[in-house]
Amino acid sequence: MADLDQPLPDAKRRRWRAAILWSPVPISIVVAIVIGAAIMQITDNDSVEVYTEILRGAFVGPNLVYTVAWAVPLTGMTMAAALPLRGGMVNLGGDGQLVMGGLVATMVALDLPLPGTARLIVAVVAAMLAAGLYAAIAAWGQVRWHVPMLISTLLLNYPAKGFASYMVRFPMRDPTNGNPETHMVAPDARLPQLIDGSLSSSLILMIVAVGLIILFDRRTVPGFELRLRGLNPRFAGYGGIHLDRQAVLTMFAGGAMAGLVGASIVLGDQFRFMDGALVTPNYTWTGLMAALLANGEPVGAVAAALFFSALQIGGFGMERATSIPRELTSVLQAIIILLLATRAGLKRHLRLG
Amino acid sequence: MGIFDMLLFHSTIQSVTPILLAALAGLICERAGIFTIAQEGLMLAGAFAAVAGSWFCGGAWAGVLIAIATSVVLSGILAGGGVLFLGDTIVIGIGINLLADGLSIFLLRQLFDIQGVFEDPKLDGLDALRIPVIADIPGIGGVISGQTWITYLSWLLVAAVSIFLFRTTWGLRLRGVGEQGEAAETLGVSVRRYRAAAILVSGALCGLAGAQLSLGAVTLFSEGMSAGRGWIAVVAVMLGRANPLGVLGASVLFGLADAVGLRMQGLGLPNQLTDAAPYVITLIALILAVRRHRLA
Amino acid sequence: MRGIVKRFPGVLANDGIDLAVRTGEIHALMGENGAGKTTLMSILYGLHQPDAGEILMRGEKVRFTSPIDAIAHGLGMVHQSFKLFNTLTVWENVVFRAEPQRRGFIDKPVARARVRELSDRFGLQVDPDAVVGRLPVGVRQRIEILKALYRDARILVLDEPTAVLTPQECRGLFAVMRNLASDKRTILFVTHKLREVIEVTDRITVLRDGRVASRLVTRETNPEQITRAMTGRNVFFTARRGKPQLDKPLLEVTDLTVGEGPKPVVNGVSLRVHAGEIVGVAGVAGNGQSELVEAIVGLRDHSQGSIEIAGHDVGGKPLRDRRQAGIAYIPEDRAITGTALAATATDNLSLGFHRDPPLSRGVFLDLEAMRIRARGLIERFTIKIPNEMTAVGTLSGGNLQKVVAARELSHQAAVIIAEQPTRGLDVGATEFIHQAMVAQRDAGRAVLLISSELSEIMSLADRILVMYEGRIVADMPADQADEAKLGLLMAGAQGHG
Repeated sequence: MADLDQPLPDAKRRRWRAAILWSPVPISIVVAIVIGAAIMQITDNDSVEVYTEILRGAFVGPNLVYTVAWAVPLTGMTMAAALPLRGGMVNLGGDGQLVMGGLVATMVALDLPLPGTARLIVAVVAAMLAAGLYAAIAAWGQVRWHVPMLISTLLLNYPAKGFASYMVRFPMRDPTNGNPETHMVAPDARLPQLIDGSLSSSLILMIVAVGLIILFDRRTVPGFELRLRGLNPRFAGYGGIHLDRQAVLTMFAGGAMAGLVGASIVLGDQFRFMDGALVTPNYTWTGLMAALLANGEPVGAVAAALFFSALQIGGFGMERATSIPRELTSVLQAIIILLLATRAGLKRHLRLG
Repeated sequence: MGIFDMLLFHSTIQSVTPILLAALAGLICERAGIFTIAQEGLMLAGAFAAVAGSWFCGGAWAGVLIAIATSVVLSGILAGGGVLFLGDTIVIGIGINLLADGLSIFLLRQLFDIQGVFEDPKLDGLDALRIPVIADIPGIGGVISGQTWITYLSWLLVAAVSIFLFRTTWGLRLRGVGEQGEAAETLGVSVRRYRAAAILVSGALCGLAGAQLSLGAVTLFSEGMSAGRGWIAVVAVMLGRANPLGVLGASVLFGLADAVGLRMQGLGLPNQLTDAAPYVITLIALILAVRRHRLA
Repeated sequence: MRGIVKRFPGVLANDGIDLAVRTGEIHALMGENGAGKTTLMSILYGLHQPDAGEILMRGEKVRFTSPIDAIAHGLGMVHQSFKLFNTLTVWENVVFRAEPQRRGFIDKPVARARVRELSDRFGLQVDPDAVVGRLPVGVRQRIEILKALYRDARILVLDEPTAVLTPQECRGLFAVMRNLASDKRTILFVTHKLREVIEVTDRITVLRDGRVASRLVTRETNPEQITRAMTGRNVFFTARRGKPQLDKPLLEVTDLTVGEGPKPVVNGVSLRVHAGEIVGVAGVAGNGQSELVEAIVGLRDHSQGSIEIAGHDVGGKPLRDRRQAGIAYIPEDRAITGTALAATATDNLSLGFHRDPPLSRGVFLDLEAMRIRARGLIERFTIKIPNEMTAVGTLSGGNLQKVVAARELSHQAAVIIAEQPTRGLDVGATEFIHQAMVAQRDAGRAVLLISSELSEIMSLADRILVMYEGRIVADMPADQADEAKLGLLMAGAQGHG
């Protein structure tokens, strides 16, 4: 049997070709690694050493915990981008939604007169609601006024960041502190720690959230409808799906994920809202790239997010060991996306003729 | 002291230039039938390359040339991936923006060993040109004179792009390519070639915009210094209906918002709020515009 | 053109066609859809290369590898769908890529003057400065003619030029054609309309099934002879089954209007389809049929009138509610609206059923049930596909249409609307779809069939409506209809049925 299954050389070649065309992600990654090595050669660095340091920095010893801790918010922001993307919508407003969530979570956790745990739960829910609503504005603007969501989500980042920055510097500021930061959240309104000082129970929240999203995507009626919209919105509308309502709800869900991330950073890691602390690590854009890499499919997006986490944490290790700036890893990520987008086009191109 | 005085207009003009150049870049692509959002990154790359060029190659002129070259090369990714390989131009645009962001920070540290902001008295910026006769006119003289040559060039480019689009054969063919590629193709006009050329030219314009940002308005490079101007330029193309004069109008509106924001800050409003003003105004302008006319 | 042969996968589109046209004549190329007219003209214009045969112009052998070649040799083509730049002016459209120049700039005065001169010389009545997108269809067609004349076309191919014109515009076009012919230009007039051919042409070549069926001189022939040459045998099997029992109307549209102004796209249409009846809507494409259908199913808003499905008023309700009230819809463009090409057959077959048992319980899908159902449909409709998890984008047109039909017909909906259901399909697939529709009728459903294929309507429909300029201009039982009569009605002659 095995002998009979031997493909002919020609078929073999075709199968290879198909494999290359149909699994563009690994190839994009490999090519990006090669380009990265070329950059290092140009800037006079030993690429083997650099990549070794990245691997060591990401996985060896306590570094693995850092990678996991970094992956929690990054995976969340990946989902914030992936949910809309699954339906063919691009959410560039993650930063604004993240900040909104973090700010509202801080407000509730600081001021709501409820016992600790209840305050914590309300803070997380309120953060998700606020960020979800903020994201839904953009969808509503597109449905109602035809303002392109691609632009409106991005522009809405600035007022959110400006507002939060103002709140932290003036009304909510801890005056005893030299930095623009709020007061600390009371210990009983914080997320419990799994490993003190490095990993909070937000990991569990995120695992639950991701699990629900995967379930939603694969097993539920609205998940099916969202996926079909992403494949052909005209077909989805013809089949009886309410496209407008779906757009608003999906953006709400994406924003709520960003809000959850904001709340879990504030309540699980920093215990106060610090100006700029949520956006500086660039979770939003890395998450968007991870989502794009998987075209919004949640399992692939999580894998991409984990990969990017390892790459970025590895970048810190590399920076310590070799004095190469860790932004090299951001460059590699961008190159992967560019290769992928081009390859996806190439595939379409070849199929058309 | 009122909010509106001659100094305000002077700084408005300064704020307008990079937005206007990036918007003209977007306009050319739009007319060729390509929706691009890469201006933000191309501008940022230009800003960094201008500073690096000026520092290492001896002077602002070299900086501007290197800025243009850098942005053209980066826009080549869009031309290759989006036009030749038919990739998604939005995804490629996002990729270029992130690449420019990462690469500029990476190189800032590699080349200058600096994080955040590079500033040095020895860094050669673009001179403010004093225009002999106009400078002496009281009032307007001080506003119009004393800008960089890139600013003056950007005004000329509004006219040049107009003439190119509406008076030349290439302009007509470019518009045809953007309007109905198939029809242009049957008459023997290569859609791909025109689109790729449009993207590369727009890359050059974004390079100029970046140079103005880092060597004109100020003489320094700071991480992420394009700060959303590329996105405002995207909206300016929509509001200006891809017409050079309309785009100029929209850019001036946003430049004014920027300058008023800065001024309000001077009057004691917290800058965290005024910084958001241009984006909020952009958003409102967009809503008002699409309510009257549907934009794609 | 001599001995032209062109094969497409599975179809022999042109099978040794000879076509001879004399200088200065108006020559009609006739035939039903699928007879090979379009393929032949595409070869002439350099869009396709023939598998065999040659093209001679004034006795010289020529070979066109692209339309640009053909244009350079003095050939001009006016396509059915115009290739114009809507936001540009008339003169810009005409001179595009052949602009008169002065030092790199377009010499606008010269360009406008030339366009005006050409327009006046042939009585085209076109304003060079008008913006094309704002002009009526008839004028746009004359701009296409101007484009060809500006490039000094000696031979003009007009592909179904009257399909989109009103009778008045048609008369204007014929006058222009005669002007051109008297200027020693040759016109190849591709059409399937008898009346026009008789009115304006000198000679006729009739194609059928990729071969020349007849060569006629217009003055010496008559409509009957041409019709016989065109139709030959009846391609479609006869599906009629006695008299349908006219039960209660399942689809009732009253005074439906879509669009505004004095000439809305759909203008006060009323129609009824009863249980156990196939009603065919005949008409030249673009007379409001698509808009009518989209308004009925809920993809487009209507400005006036009512729509009732099985007694329920669904006007103003969203598409999903109308589907629930009992509409199944086979849309015109199966690859754009009817399916998601990148999705699996299971997904494509499940949409619309996924909210109800057995495919889902509550919000949860039963993936196994979806696959089982898909497998069943694939078998029942003999869809050729490796398995139910294959993306439908890999399927042929016929199999893709079977996917659409399988999904829509399995709705058991009271009303089935099928729009151009067999366009582009081969004979086998066509027959399959036809049989499926007859089976639906026999099962007591109401079928509304929209087709520009007269023979399809005639072989399937129990009652035939003719739509012209947004109105229903005729309503007759199928046994009282014949092609000549319907052809006249479709062309805008007053009905008497």
